[in-house]
Amino acid sequence: MPYPPPLTIDQWPRAIMHVDADAFFTSCEQAIHPELKGKPVIAGKERGIVAAASYEAKKRGIERGMRLSEVKKLCPDAILLPSDYETYSIFSVRMFDIMRRFSPQVEEYSIDEAFIDITGMRRYFHSSYGEIAGRIQKTIEKELDITVSVGVSLSKVLSKIASKYKKPNGLTIIAGREIHTYLSELPVEKVWGIGANTSAFLKKFGIHTALEFTHKDEGFIKRYLSKPYLEIWHELNGRSVYPVITEPKDDYKSISKTKTFTPPSSDEGFIFAQLSKNLENACIKARRYNLCANKVIIFLRTQEYKDTGIEIRLNRPTAYPLELFDLLRDGFKKVYNSRALYRATGIVLSGLKPNDNIQYSLFDDTVKIVKMNRIYSVIDELSDRFGKHTIHHASSLPVKIQAQHEGERGDTPYRKNSLFKGENKRQRIHMPVLNIKV
Amino acid sequence: MQFLIILTISLTGERLFAYNHFMVNIANNKKIQVRVKLISDFYRKSGRMPSFSEIGQLFRLKSKNSVFKIVNKLEKTGLLKRDHKGRLIPLSMKQHTKVLGTIEAGFPSPAEEELIDTISLDDLLIQNKDATFLLKVTGDSLKDAGILPGDMVIVDKSLNPVNGDIVIAQVDGEWTMKIFKKRGNSIILMPANPKYKPIQPKNELKVAGVVASVIRKYK
Repeated sequence: MPYPPPLTIDQWPRAIMHVDADAFFTSCEQAIHPELKGKPVIAGKERGIVAAASYEAKKRGIERGMRLSEVKKLCPDAILLPSDYETYSIFSVRMFDIMRRFSPQVEEYSIDEAFIDITGMRRYFHSSYGEIAGRIQKTIEKELDITVSVGVSLSKVLSKIASKYKKPNGLTIIAGREIHTYLSELPVEKVWGIGANTSAFLKKFGIHTALEFTHKDEGFIKRYLSKPYLEIWHELNGRSVYPVITEPKDDYKSISKTKTFTPPSSDEGFIFAQLSKNLENACIKARRYNLCANKVIIFLRTQEYKDTGIEIRLNRPTAYPLELFDLLRDGFKKVYNSRALYRATGIVLSGLKPNDNIQYSLFDDTVKIVKMNRIYSVIDELSDRFGKHTIHHASSLPVKIQAQHEGERGDTPYRKNSLFKGENKRQRIHMPVLNIKV
Repeated sequence: MQFLIILTISLTGERLFAYNHFMVNIANNKKIQVRVKLISDFYRKSGRMPSFSEIGQLFRLKSKNSVFKIVNKLEKTGLLKRDHKGRLIPLSMKQHTKVLGTIEAGFPSPAEEELIDTISLDDLLIQNKDATFLLKVTGDSLKDAGILPGDMVIVDKSLNPVNGDIVIAQVDGEWTMKIFKKRGNSIILMPANPKYKPIQPKNELKVAGVVASVIRKYK
């Protein structure tokens, strides 16, 4: 087979940077517990599975989602920590803030990933795109004490390939004239957005590497693949299609709230209470974004990781749990099996609509709706002032009485147990705490 | 708008100094005090500075030359300045009103402008928000520097330590909080408690952050 011709673009029509934090959760833990640096650290103790593993742990063969019992066999000296999402969130916000010092166009792609459009910033910083990327990387390392892997290229898809090229603490720049050198070795299924099915399909045409895909002509792509793949194809060719979206996420397509509890339970009351709390949490989030759902999905996860669920359609969108409890109970009865052991419950709200343009029907009790509105605005205000779930529904009460996690796994993060004067279990100072004995 | 900008600048040490200096000068001179109050009252009522002839009317002076002399004096004290056309621009007039107000006319109502040059405790204690961490003190090695066990220390990771800073550092593998001292080319970490000895790093010194403030909450 002839070797495909190189792919070259001499300029930087667009400079997109992708930042991916290295083993983010455990890096945060190592930043606030510096004595854990260089050691295999695992977060997720409270869930019984690996939520995140440090590079030292990954080297020992530990992967995400593994059970902790397996971890103990593979790596007996691993340090297991309960996840401290509060601290991780603060680190995440700060990481994005640091990026915004360099360019206002930052897309918060996930808790530990971001795209930054740095096109046109060279003159302002008197440096090349690679140097700007290096500075962002170094600032994050100095101020937050975590490392990130960075990729810079002409499009989002290429920058993502670049950031993955060298990890951890890598800095890879794919300039227009060397795109082909990075794509020729890359299996096509490793490209962002191309899944196992598509890559199997592409293999029928003899396309194995990303470069072979990139060299296909537009007619081929249009004939055999759908629009998203055409966009990926353009991006791989160095023509930026996907914009860096700066707005924070406020239009959710769905809101889901899931919670795992240990040990697994078959207690009907307890499991329903978990579900009821999921629903309350999901509705709180929906109300925060001024949204209402017209579909509710309930699911229960058994010990064997089998999910059973049911979808409930509502005749009118709402974000008030009080209106949903009867439906929730009916749905729960349909999926609950008294002989099964459950480890998690979840709620998904979908079909979300803005709260202010809801059409009420003739049969709706508008007086009741207005009352509900008032009750929940008071509840939300109380939660703002005194912490979440200051007032909650009685059906969620068993969750409060029975601990989420029992036994050794039931650890709460260190931060929640070592409080400063004036802090309480619900509200703490918005700042990470260094755990150094001095 | 310009006025607001000047007020915010007045937070810097330099301006504060000018202001204090001026207070000493003015406080001893009752005549000037009264005149400044007349001008600032005019400013508050009309929202602009008076012209020279209006100052003449305020001061009951017929001669523009004597107005000119007084304005020169006020300009020297940093109270006001003149633009290229000779019109007056207030500088620390507003603060001045406040000071005089407490002495002579009772406390003026807290207008919005008065509150612009205030900062929150957060702003006072935290310089670089993204690089700031909390730390609970456990040891007593900085007892005489006023840092006690249980205190909350605010650590800034973005600062590079200078002589005399209190730092959180890792010395040959051990973590400590000490006073950072530079002696020629070598660095010594000094305690503030006779029970402890100064530390001279043998192999490795890693400064994790500089202590920006200490908080002790009693109630």
